[in-house]
Amino acid sequence: MYLLRLALASLANRRFTAFLTAFAIALSVCLLLAVERVRTEARASFASTISGTDLIVGARSGSVNLLLYSVFRIGNATNNIRWDSYTHYAKDPRVKWAIPMSLGDSHRGYRVMGTTSDYFAHYQYGRRQHLQLAQGRAFADDPFEVVLGAEVAEALHYRLGEKLVLAHGVAAISLVKHDDKPFTVVGVLARTGTPVDRTLHISLGGMEAIHIDWHNGMPARGAGRISADQARSMDLQPSAITAFMLGLNSKIATFSLQREINEFSNEPLLAILPGVALQELWSLMGTAEQALFVVSLFVVLTGLIGMLTAILTSLNERRREMAILRSVGARPWHIAGLLVLEALALAVSGIVAGIGLLYVGIAVAQGYVQANYGLYLPLAWPSAHEWSLLAIILGAALLMGSVPAWRAYRQSLADGLSIHL
Amino acid sequence: MSQPLIELHDLVFAWPGQPPLLDIAHFRLETGEALFLKGPSGSGKTTLLGLLGGVNRPDQGSVRLLGQELGELSQGARDRFRVDHTGYIFQQFNLLPFLSVRENVELPCRFSRSRAERAVQRHGSIDQAASQLLAHLGLSDPALQARRADSLSIGQQQRVAAARALIGQPELVIADEPTSALDADTREAFIRLLFDECRGAGSSLLFVSHDQSLAPLFDRHLSLAELNRAASPTPPQEA
Repeated sequence: MYLLRLALASLANRRFTAFLTAFAIALSVCLLLAVERVRTEARASFASTISGTDLIVGARSGSVNLLLYSVFRIGNATNNIRWDSYTHYAKDPRVKWAIPMSLGDSHRGYRVMGTTSDYFAHYQYGRRQHLQLAQGRAFADDPFEVVLGAEVAEALHYRLGEKLVLAHGVAAISLVKHDDKPFTVVGVLARTGTPVDRTLHISLGGMEAIHIDWHNGMPARGAGRISADQARSMDLQPSAITAFMLGLNSKIATFSLQREINEFSNEPLLAILPGVALQELWSLMGTAEQALFVVSLFVVLTGLIGMLTAILTSLNERRREMAILRSVGARPWHIAGLLVLEALALAVSGIVAGIGLLYVGIAVAQGYVQANYGLYLPLAWPSAHEWSLLAIILGAALLMGSVPAWRAYRQSLADGLSIHL
Repeated sequence: MSQPLIELHDLVFAWPGQPPLLDIAHFRLETGEALFLKGPSGSGKTTLLGLLGGVNRPDQGSVRLLGQELGELSQGARDRFRVDHTGYIFQQFNLLPFLSVRENVELPCRFSRSRAERAVQRHGSIDQAASQLLAHLGLSDPALQARRADSLSIGQQQRVAAARALIGQPELVIADEPTSALDADTREAFIRLLFDECRGAGSSLLFVSHDQSLAPLFDRHLSLAELNRAASPTPPQEA
């Protein structure tokens, strides 16, 4: 105990170097933990983006591409699929439910998705959670009703009953707007932490209605125009959609149905298992994630080497201190213990400060990260995995502390009581 | 007289790869004696003190402290034996600068149980032992005792070092040029204080210095050059 007191007093005597050393360790620990936390949360939120869906079907392209545009609202479909392909499988006896999706429009950078009320009934995310309405209701018979994702409503400050105009295409700045057919906000979904939060949901009829007077990707002019009221009385049955999701009665049928869809003779289709595609996608990002982790490990190593350097350089100027301690009865192992304790004290204070920094950082950045990246960073007690990382850092510090300890041990044996250098 | 406190017999010591530095046929220090050992720098006195402290081991011959042959003890036991029975005062910068004056004085009691026990026996507690010793050496101000050791003047620091050497009444106090950093007036006053305290604690004093002018103050004085049969080829006296 007295050794610890001596070690701390000696460190306090060199407080500026000690502070810098501990600060370097704190920063590296903070970085490692932050990377670790973002990694874990990103993976968790990624894996929980979609659940309960057995197959996703779209035009034939790649499975990652299909997953990206149908679930993550990233990128675009290469092609549409015909409505009767959808009804063909929606009516299949093995299919419990089917959700059609029609994509391609946007509103101020947020994607618009045309679907049916089945979406609110059957779509699941996370641990098989259904979508919940935070306010209002799902869209009903009128085609010009929109249900907003939580983030859309929050970021754009929309309230129930407000009117908004959709834009054609998905560019952040769209030049062509569907401003003749405004939509009314009828509902806002509860936050899910998934891309659903960043989506505006309208009925397939609404999607059809805003494009009803469009030809070859251009809006009609003059007399060719069809007003919103006229559209309401027209047949708004779409002829094509972008993709659809299927939930099956029995999981066993998944593979056979997948094969069947992939070999569908009327139209080239692609059916994917969301779990498998998620894995595939994550393995693409996994490399970057691993690299980030390795880099932060090296930063920690750098911090610890800084500590080693600081202690080693101090050894020579502290020969007198060691000799005095020897003359008052400290044995060489006391001297070694003193240096190990010093390294431990630096590492522990670095780790504690690092955790502190992390929490301050999370507390400050939590809202921003959630709003901008859809990533929820919990202000939680370190996980078992994080504790084990911290223990490894402490172990490494101990190992490094034993290097100067060994040198001081040898040195104090050789110097003995001689103070004259 | 009873058994000698220190007894050296046919001691030969050489640093590895060098000719013998010390070759002492016989040397005694009696209990309660204050001995002045004259030794210029380079004469091997630091090595001799290292041998007495059990830090170095002789190549031949014996070093006995309180009848105990140091060579028979293990490294750890010699360390313990040294602190239990010897207090050290060095030339200067004797103190750990980052501890308070009082903590510096108490240091030996932290590493030696027998010194701690004797301090408690004589003064009631380690705390009081430190206070009384410091008071005797003219450092009674509690505010001063709580200050960092390196905020004191050199003269004060040497008195703190003396208090530290004396706490827990070691049988032997070894002073290695303790006055070389002091001016002439304080030098003699310091030595008299040291005598008084050694006598009070019943400790023998081995005072090593190159300064012949201090010799008359002591019971007995010796020159290491006379003692050492392996004296350097160019005797330091001629330098």
